[in-house]
Amino acid sequence: MFKISKVAVLVGSLLPASLFAQTIEGTVINSKGEKVVGAKIEVEGTAITTTTDKNGRFVVTDLTSGKRELHITAAGFAHLIKGITISENTSNLTFTLNRSPIEVVDVVASPVHMSVMESATPVTVLAGETLRRQQASTLGDSLEKTVGVHTNFHANVASTPIIRGLSGPRVMISQNGLDVSDVSRVGPDHAVAAEASTATQIEVLRGPATLFYGSGAVGGVVNVVDGRVPTDSTTRGEWSLETNSADNKKLASFNATTGTDSFAFYADGYWRESSDYEVPVAPEADHDEHGDNFKVENSAEESDGFTIGASYLFNDGYLGISVEKFNREYGIPGHSHGDEGDTDDHDHDLEESHSENEDVFADLEQTRVQLQGEINFDGQWLRQVNLRSGFTDYQHSEIEHGEVGTVFENDSHEVKVDLLHHPLSGWKGGLSLHYKNSEVAAQGAEAFTPPSDSETFALAVMEERHLNDDLLLQVGARVEQVTLKANEVLLPELAAHSHDDDHEHDEHDEHDTDHIRVFDVDHEFTPVTLSTGLVWNFTPGYNIGISLSRSERAPSATELLSFGPHIGTGSYEIGALFALHQENDHRDIGLTDEAIDLETANNIDLTFRKTQGEVAYIFNAFYNKIDNYYYQINTGLFAESGHDHSDDSHDHDEHTDELPVYIFQTDDVILKGFEAQIAWQATDEIKATVFSDYVRVKLQDGGDLPRTPPLRFGTNLSYINENISAHLDITRYQSQDKITAFETETDGYTLVDASVSYDLPMLNHDISLYVKGSNLTDTEARVHSSFLKDIAPRPGRSFSVGIRGYF
Amino acid sequence: MTNLFKLNVLAGLIGSLILTGCGDAETTIVEQDPIVVDDGHDHGDDHDHDDGYTIESLGRLAVLSAETAEAAIFDLDDNELLDTFSLTYDSNSLTTSPGFRYAAIVNRSDDNISFIDSGLWREDHGEHLHDYEQSPALSDYTLMGSRPTHVINHDGQMAVFYDGDANTGTSASVQVLTDSDISSETSELAGIEYSVNMHGVAKPRGEHLLSTLRRDDADSTSNAKVLPDQVGVYHFHDGEYELEQTLDITCPDLHGAAQNHEFVAFGCGDGVLIAHQHNDEYEAEKVANISELNGLRIGTIYGHEGSESFIGIASGHGGGQAILVTLNPEENEMETIDWQPMADASPVSYAFAFGGEHFLILDNQGYLTVLSQHSHDGHMEWEFEGRIDISEEDVSTMPDNMSFTLTVAQNDHFAYVGDPIAKHILQVHIEDMEIEGDIELNFAPANISWLGIVEEGEEHDHDH
Repeated sequence: MFKISKVAVLVGSLLPASLFAQTIEGTVINSKGEKVVGAKIEVEGTAITTTTDKNGRFVVTDLTSGKRELHITAAGFAHLIKGITISENTSNLTFTLNRSPIEVVDVVASPVHMSVMESATPVTVLAGETLRRQQASTLGDSLEKTVGVHTNFHANVASTPIIRGLSGPRVMISQNGLDVSDVSRVGPDHAVAAEASTATQIEVLRGPATLFYGSGAVGGVVNVVDGRVPTDSTTRGEWSLETNSADNKKLASFNATTGTDSFAFYADGYWRESSDYEVPVAPEADHDEHGDNFKVENSAEESDGFTIGASYLFNDGYLGISVEKFNREYGIPGHSHGDEGDTDDHDHDLEESHSENEDVFADLEQTRVQLQGEINFDGQWLRQVNLRSGFTDYQHSEIEHGEVGTVFENDSHEVKVDLLHHPLSGWKGGLSLHYKNSEVAAQGAEAFTPPSDSETFALAVMEERHLNDDLLLQVGARVEQVTLKANEVLLPELAAHSHDDDHEHDEHDEHDTDHIRVFDVDHEFTPVTLSTGLVWNFTPGYNIGISLSRSERAPSATELLSFGPHIGTGSYEIGALFALHQENDHRDIGLTDEAIDLETANNIDLTFRKTQGEVAYIFNAFYNKIDNYYYQINTGLFAESGHDHSDDSHDHDEHTDELPVYIFQTDDVILKGFEAQIAWQATDEIKATVFSDYVRVKLQDGGDLPRTPPLRFGTNLSYINENISAHLDITRYQSQDKITAFETETDGYTLVDASVSYDLPMLNHDISLYVKGSNLTDTEARVHSSFLKDIAPRPGRSFSVGIRGYF
Repeated sequence: MTNLFKLNVLAGLIGSLILTGCGDAETTIVEQDPIVVDDGHDHGDDHDHDDGYTIESLGRLAVLSAETAEAAIFDLDDNELLDTFSLTYDSNSLTTSPGFRYAAIVNRSDDNISFIDSGLWREDHGEHLHDYEQSPALSDYTLMGSRPTHVINHDGQMAVFYDGDANTGTSASVQVLTDSDISSETSELAGIEYSVNMHGVAKPRGEHLLSTLRRDDADSTSNAKVLPDQVGVYHFHDGEYELEQTLDITCPDLHGAAQNHEFVAFGCGDGVLIAHQHNDEYEAEKVANISELNGLRIGTIYGHEGSESFIGIASGHGGGQAILVTLNPEENEMETIDWQPMADASPVSYAFAFGGEHFLILDNQGYLTVLSQHSHDGHMEWEFEGRIDISEEDVSTMPDNMSFTLTVAQNDHFAYVGDPIAKHILQVHIEDMEIEGDIELNFAPANISWLGIVEEGEEHDHDH
């Protein structure tokens, strides 16, 4: 207690005392003149928020005199931003909200204002009931109904979002604005260490977002937000129980916030278990049978997590800390190798029933500590200081035959400080300082990347200004210094050979002694991002947005330093630090002659929106030219996976244990595409939405890139009244025939999902019962962007029943 | 004015960024000494690569002190002391973990087993075998159970038989574990919980576990009722062992067991019970005691993966001359071995040597006798091969409750003999029958165990 009050005194002494406290009062109504209950009024630049009462009235006290901006938001309405000048107590303000059929939720904690309707860059925020309806066990699957976002569906056990055709090291996954710090950017079979069921909102920034998040966000950002560090102490919470038929899933989750005037406390937790999921056809693509009893083997999952947080609340801000423990154990389908017919009893193991077959499973553990705070100032320059910092200890083990095969570790520290200033000649925004350090190591058979230590320092400026009532200009710049150090980069003599000539084989057999060359590698990158955007409300209710950016990205350790078998992708991966040299008849892998350079994305985004009325729509078109794009090419060579687990050499097909060799190289790539959403509020209860998205990815000199999501369009019909909410989703995925030489075409398919929920208000506790049906036509759906396309289609028809309560 | 100034600074900053235009990338590569891979072995250097490949080492030696509650770990490459560890309890016995990475300190009277990590172990990383060489360390992992007595290793698994305690009404139990359970400190081990105490033994065999069964005293054919008289076959599935079969031949006063690649042998009052796996079933037969045993019974059996026959030991309680027999499961035969003992020699320790071709007998007169396996017309016999005098001391000065001790390397033809009188450990080459080195101690060794990286899958089946 003593310590905290000391902090309070210290913090208090930094704050200038308010000179005059003013009060404003008013009413919020809709376009028909009816009161709006529960509308939220925020006073920008302060921690003050309030909501309207049952008469649509609000009171804001303790305001200082001067110019203030009010943000008025309510579900189903477009946001209203109103600047007012507070000179003395004002009591008869009236704000009119216009209906918006497209849900508008702000991005939290951004130095500039961002939402689906108001920013120059395209943003989608999934929150509330929509988030709950779409949440899945994995992050990519949770977001896949979001326009512009596809999943790389990895058999229900892992998935990562693909934003406009980009993923992996180009899409940043963050938790409350801080890097999620797992190893999901490295392999498709590595799960993302973030959970949707306890999140309050998931924000998606499409297109380059390096300005806010740095190098890893050149393709976009997914930010999972929850209230783990509470910013207020209003008692509230949510709990839910759910089961699902296709994978026999059971899920229980809760989150709760409470506290006193000065202290707020938060806790959340979840537990989920699912079995191997059912599919409508034989999971392997080359089998044609249809039937009832097909399952994707080894796709079971079990996870749980628990988070607690506490904050100290003071007049002008808060400071809080949270700790999370995240555990996940999941099967890795398609991750089998070696000779399965091993009949002697050497490899049996005791600790897990998994040992009865050759299945591989992953055991993931993460501890995350986050410290967050915000202080608002009334001083001359500084308006607000935002602090976010985190420490993450991540580890996952891939367990084969009950023994630990490969262990991946990531220890990271991160600090972000935003210094926001008071409006200066109409400019609003601030400076952001960012530090991140992560030590990544992998040990074991699949440690295809050597241990590395990367460190980033960054300085960014983001500003926006209303040039006049209808024109908003947003500009930003960021400079980073990224160092990537690895002192044991290995270059083995690769016994690779092509399958059509085998004389190289013999040459290698003559070697009695192999040398593994070892390098100490030190990269230093200075990526710079420049971005500008303009939003023009050319006529009331409509706007046009244009965004231009030039973003640079430092390549990741995997892209540069890899050398080894990666079972998750079914390939032998070699980083861009190395290159294939051809000398006469002999092919040899050595250090590359090319300079290692930054990847540069030049992106243009155009947005056209109708923001209010019975019908609203958003159209986005983008053109993104990425120079020096790091990608893998097939060398045509094969190398031993080195993953033979049978301890005697049965005579199996000599090629079963070989993997194709892929090497990273760079080329210029062009991505272009669009996203469209149209929503029509037909009556107060009925709404129809249609959407579509498309991306075309190709090399500038011709040629396609692999696993690009196909054209997609779909519709959502909803009926919502006081007690019942019903949704019908129909989504069509077209076939994909823009493929690389080592891919196959994927057929299109249509998914039909429906859900109904019924609210039973009980006292002051809202409870809703719901039933969801997914893939109702039980269709065979193979995901082109999935590495497991040919062995793990999407789940078959499935029904889910659940109950959820809010207090 | 100040507003304007601030804005200018901001604009200047942005402007300078735009001027710098694109960023910069710089790469520094320094080539280090290469790692030499010769036939998959890393010769010579003993430094510890984080990333790879094998280490050539004679191994390490755990030595339990007979004087204090301490254990020492020696490096056998240079015979240097690496570290000494204080133990919680007195009067321990010593064995190894199934993978020979850990020394297992078994304390029967205090119901406790603790482990010391030798720091030397191997992992199979698929494309290469990955050896680790680190400092020895006391593991936090301990096993607890009532009266741990027979600790059996076989093919990567350890089965600990806890006898339980009739005085406290504690039942017997079994726990099965591997080296990775020790390193990952697995809290819940699979095993068996009995409903009665017994002095029993369990043999891990992959997914099976052959373990003794004690029946109601009224039904038991044992004279000493604490000794079991039946063998159960347990099968591991869904995380637990389930009794699937009880062998149909009884084994009164069961004591001592061993196994090799095909057979599991149990010593009984009336002979030796041999179990043989056919598909998922075990078949049992009994080799009857022969008259040459002079009324003694086989109470200890040794087996080795590399040897088709077992060696059984019959001796009276309190020492006396031991009778060694060959047990040949294929021929259902028991035959005495003439090991040509010296006068008054009474064996204190036995072991199969590396590869299973030799069998070693260490006796109280300070001799190490080497037997070899010979085949005569397809008939396997153990014959006297030679003898090494390992002590120059007066063996009558052996302190009470101490004896010579023996352990065998699992990577080369070396045996190590602990001598409490001379306070040293001798390194003996079995094939050459020569003493090649010694480690001087400043205490009397109570027990010694070889630790390290096993070569060529040779594993030894301990028993006592």
